[in-house]
Amino acid sequence: MPRFDNAYVLDVMSDDHPGIVAAVTNAVEALGGNIDSCSQTVLGGYFTLIMIVSLPEAIEAEQLAARVRGAESLGSEYQVVARRALPRPAGPPRVETDRFVITAFGQDQPGIVRRFSQYLASKDINIVDLYGDRKGEEFVLIGQVQVPKRWDIRMLQADLEQMGEELGFTVKLQHENIFVATNQLRLTPSPQG
Amino acid sequence: MLRTDEILSTIEMLHAEHLDVRAVTLAINVDDCAAPNVEHLCRKLSGKITSRAQRLVEICDRIGVKYGIPVTNKRIAISPVSTILAGHGRAAAVQVAKTLDRAALDCRVDFVGGFSALVHKGISAGDDVVMSSLPDVLAQTHRVCASVNVASRRAGINMDAVHQIGHVIKRIAEATAAQRGFGCAKLVVFANIPEDNPFMAGAYMGSGEPEAAVNIGVSGPGVVGSALKRRIAIEPNLTLGDLAEEIKITSFRVTRVGELIGREVAAELGVAFGIVDLSLAPTPTVGDSIGEIIETLGLACVGAPGSTAAVALLNDAVKKGGLFASSSVGGLSGAFIPVSEDGTLARAAGRGQLVLEKLEAMTSVCSVGLDMIAVPGDTPAETLSAIIADEMAIGVINNKTTAVRIIPVPGAKAGEVVDFGGLFGSTPILEVRNSGASDVFVRRGGRIPAPLQSLGN
Repeated sequence: MPRFDNAYVLDVMSDDHPGIVAAVTNAVEALGGNIDSCSQTVLGGYFTLIMIVSLPEAIEAEQLAARVRGAESLGSEYQVVARRALPRPAGPPRVETDRFVITAFGQDQPGIVRRFSQYLASKDINIVDLYGDRKGEEFVLIGQVQVPKRWDIRMLQADLEQMGEELGFTVKLQHENIFVATNQLRLTPSPQG
Repeated sequence: MLRTDEILSTIEMLHAEHLDVRAVTLAINVDDCAAPNVEHLCRKLSGKITSRAQRLVEICDRIGVKYGIPVTNKRIAISPVSTILAGHGRAAAVQVAKTLDRAALDCRVDFVGGFSALVHKGISAGDDVVMSSLPDVLAQTHRVCASVNVASRRAGINMDAVHQIGHVIKRIAEATAAQRGFGCAKLVVFANIPEDNPFMAGAYMGSGEPEAAVNIGVSGPGVVGSALKRRIAIEPNLTLGDLAEEIKITSFRVTRVGELIGREVAAELGVAFGIVDLSLAPTPTVGDSIGEIIETLGLACVGAPGSTAAVALLNDAVKKGGLFASSSVGGLSGAFIPVSEDGTLARAAGRGQLVLEKLEAMTSVCSVGLDMIAVPGDTPAETLSAIIADEMAIGVINNKTTAVRIIPVPGAKAGEVVDFGGLFGSTPILEVRNSGASDVFVRRGGRIPAPLQSLGN
């Protein structure tokens, strides 16, 4: 829950260097705002940050973005997008899902992420985390996904393996708990969904 | 959310290093199948096993698919048949064994263990029926596995039973001479037999266990071997302490896989989850060898001085990693050194680098004993008994499980190679030194008393 009534999604991209989070949060604080949640990553030397911030007084989203852009002081340029974060609309009831991990390894070529993501979309499988990296000629793709329980996993695996074969990729779809069990000290299977 | 490096390291372990779950064994108590009429007994036995276990293979396969990990062997272990065979004769024992064989086939499992007798302090009528029927049972069935516990920490060693079992082993070898004495590969003689062991041929369901339980045997040595090789390739000068740490971490992760799958199989079958057995069980496949791990640790060949220390390091590190991963560790939980089933051990034995006496020394610090040892067919029964007595003494004095699975191959001489096929592998016939020199000692019979519990040096 946001601290104040006026919540915004704030997205910041920049070349990576120390001080970006400090500058962005400084701008938010100057508006009397609060950071309700945030996630940051660096990829290929580029920094990207997504935040939910809330303000005591409503302002135009573009005003917030402009304040954040203006906070840059080290000679690089922030690309900033802001929009109002609306309370989640009451849609159709969410389908029951299970968490799986899809991994794909093979010789890099254009279209890999598109092929796999199109397949996942066609099966109503939601990607909650995606990682891809090209090392030499090899490409590795890891997606953490929510699979509707109505699907037979063996069928999905067969489809993905077939697609992998066509692309020269090794593809696996495995339940998330195997990764939890082998890596985390406490053996607590993940909640559903 | 999982981290990418966590996912990648698990993927490497699962797919590059071929992690599997080696055995899912459904243990079932069959004491309530006892009946005065053997036909009735067999009907109850068949009905109970098939109703409990008919979904085992399908469930294991489905859960294996979900996690991307194959469950290699699915098996059934029952409470000792000696209980239900009391009051019956050898013909009934063979009929019961054939019923078990058929039930295993119907459930699509490769082995059913528990054709067993516990005789560490004395031989009851039912035990005697089991022991004396073993040559017929093991010759006339394919899937039935037998075990006899002849010694324990609290009772000492029943030398009458040890003497008798030496002759039984000879008779089994003769009864299965056409298969080069293979029947003996389905009989394990134990000291301190564990009640929840999932591994064949020694699996049975002991007293104090629930009505039914799922026990899990985790992956083989290949995963540990690959992890060690990978670390050494990056840092060639690692100390033995560093390598023990690597084994511990791998064992932790492997054990977790076993527990995750075991609990889910048990829940789907509607039975209790028993234990994870940490034992590293090799197969004849290249790269899935305890011998190879010992060589990776720095010995030019298995059997060289240092081999016992290397096995001790491996065994201890596996236990430490596994015990932290699961609170339900049991069974044998050590490194197996079955000669014919481990390509590197068999090769070292063939070259004369690994001899019977060194194997015996190694079994004093690891699980489970002299396992899958082929010896000349003319080895006297008393010498087989004496080899068993030595191994039992190691178990009784050191308060651990030890076992002997020895095959006197009819007509074969030391140095010849015998092939049992499949997972049982092939092995040279080991030389038995001083054969025939133990007769008087063994024939004295009686009981070697239970050892001291103090002054443990």
